[in-house]
Amino acid sequence: MKETILSIQSPLGPPTELVQFTWEGVQPKNTISIVSGIQGNHQNGIYLCSRLVRFLNSVESGKEPGYYLKGVIKIIPTTNLSAIQEGKGLWSFHDLDMNLAFPGNDQGEVPEQIAATVYRQTKDSQFGIILQSGNTHYNDAPHLLCLNPDGLAKNFARSLAIKNAREPKISSTFRLCLYGQWVDQMITSVILSAGKPNHLDISLCETILPGLINSLLWSEVLGNDQKKPIKYQLKFNRQSNEQFVISNAGGFFMPIVKLGSEVTKGQKIGEIVDIHSNTTLESILSSSSGYLVTLRNHPMVYQRELLAILLGKPKFPFWPIK
Amino acid sequence: MQSQTISSYQTPSGQRVEILKQSFPSLRKRPVKKVAFVSGLHGNELEGVYICHLLTKHLSELQRTQPEAFQGEIHIYPTVNPQATAIGTRLWPFLSIDYNRQFGGPDGNSLASKCAQELLNDLKSSADIVIDFHASNLHLKETPQIRITEGFHKKLIPLGVHCNTDLIWVHPSLPMFKSTLGYNMNQSKIPTLVIETGIALRINQNFSNRILLGMLNLLYQVGVIVTNNPPAPVKRPIIVQPSQVIQVHSKHAGLFVGHTDIKKKIAAGEVIGEVVDAQNGQTLQEVTAAESGFLFTIREHPLVYPGALLGRIAKIT
Repeated sequence: MKETILSIQSPLGPPTELVQFTWEGVQPKNTISIVSGIQGNHQNGIYLCSRLVRFLNSVESGKEPGYYLKGVIKIIPTTNLSAIQEGKGLWSFHDLDMNLAFPGNDQGEVPEQIAATVYRQTKDSQFGIILQSGNTHYNDAPHLLCLNPDGLAKNFARSLAIKNAREPKISSTFRLCLYGQWVDQMITSVILSAGKPNHLDISLCETILPGLINSLLWSEVLGNDQKKPIKYQLKFNRQSNEQFVISNAGGFFMPIVKLGSEVTKGQKIGEIVDIHSNTTLESILSSSSGYLVTLRNHPMVYQRELLAILLGKPKFPFWPIK
Repeated sequence: MQSQTISSYQTPSGQRVEILKQSFPSLRKRPVKKVAFVSGLHGNELEGVYICHLLTKHLSELQRTQPEAFQGEIHIYPTVNPQATAIGTRLWPFLSIDYNRQFGGPDGNSLASKCAQELLNDLKSSADIVIDFHASNLHLKETPQIRITEGFHKKLIPLGVHCNTDLIWVHPSLPMFKSTLGYNMNQSKIPTLVIETGIALRINQNFSNRILLGMLNLLYQVGVIVTNNPPAPVKRPIIVQPSQVIQVHSKHAGLFVGHTDIKKKIAAGEVIGEVVDAQNGQTLQEVTAAESGFLFTIREHPLVYPGALLGRIAKIT
């Protein structure tokens, strides 16, 4: 079912609308919420939601052999509609990062009202997935972000068929983001980040979609009597194992490594060249081995900027027990 | 006056961007106090940049004519987000990051986050008292005021009363403040006053001159500047507690047309403005004051959505 959960009149033109898709099984036990489009230019998440909507509508009408609805599935695909329609990460009328507006305010400005509605609609879920792309100017190999996962959260994360999970940083703004609010609500949840802003990578999305469907089976909101949910291998990486590659010069960054590849210690990651003369200003070498999870996408870089993130080999193959 | 670079980085074209600190040293080996002034965290807030200019001009002249007046140290950081100020944008350019949401967490990876950490460290080593200048955003005009997060008020109000603002607003502590410069300096036990005045991308000379007088008075009151000609007396601000502030919101989408400017005494029921339909000639809402008091915030941006803030009234008891 598609419903408009918030409609805010605009001074001119059509209203700002927040839509939610909901499916409900016969005897629902669990609820899962999937949210995307918090940043207006993260298109992979919006596309993935559209694929899920199509699939679940098909399940509902009996056109997906074996599948049936068990629990409640909520999808809010276009959270920051104004920014999406403007083609930007943030809606320029307020320049407010919507992911710093949670838990929101029903009496507040437009982004705060949207945040309040999204939070209210999702806060009673047992499971949650936030779909996003890399940060502005960065490309992310598909990975999960999850904070101090317990056994349940680890298994939920494993159901998504993604190879790596990272710990999010607890910054002073963590409590203002939707994931921080879900953590406070004890919702078993993850952020799935893949690709880059302002770009739709359909083939990447198609590789992620089966894992999302598997996670619906695992969380028992979707059923299939012939198909059991698969528990995939997932490496949990600690912050202390991450290596940040930083530029020492400003210029064009010319990477020569592939996102999602293993990089060895001393391997050349790329070069920074002078934008006028094309002379090499810096050769970027990796100071340790690791999996290249994030790579600078925008070619122009300032000095002291992040170029890449490597996930180093953990000392222990499992998430440490605390 | 001494100039020092506290942060710098190279742009893609090889130019160097520097974040500067201008210092007026103390005549004494052990300065009485060290006071720092910061402006430009948001690049489109120019009122503070102008106040820093006025301060630098005044203090340079004082240093030339009465060098013995400097009993403490004064540090001025006029444009701490220089690229944003150069193009008049609120956010750190290129990354669209709010610079005043980069403080207080673990070291971030972005350039803005690194510069924020360097600014915080430099202020901690340079100042006993900090003044952080802000204008409002593009939507609202603010009377000169000091905003104090509840919990820090006992330490800050005695300093704030010297600053020649119209009011001091003690507001509740919200999670969003925990990533700001002001909150983190106060958490570090360095009293920091956040001054809001005017509106983004504009300079109100009257407001700026009043704040300049307040800053000179503050420097005098804390013993950093000692002269034979003390600054002119300043007004005592109204101190407003959270429960005294009434927010006026738009109920409709449309154009807000203000009928009044900031007003010290607005009566209950008095018209503040109206929200009109942009297309069909109808008035959608007559906006009136719910209570008598000081209308200290007024909307300037005409475009409004339902829920948009149109004004704030401080109830005077």
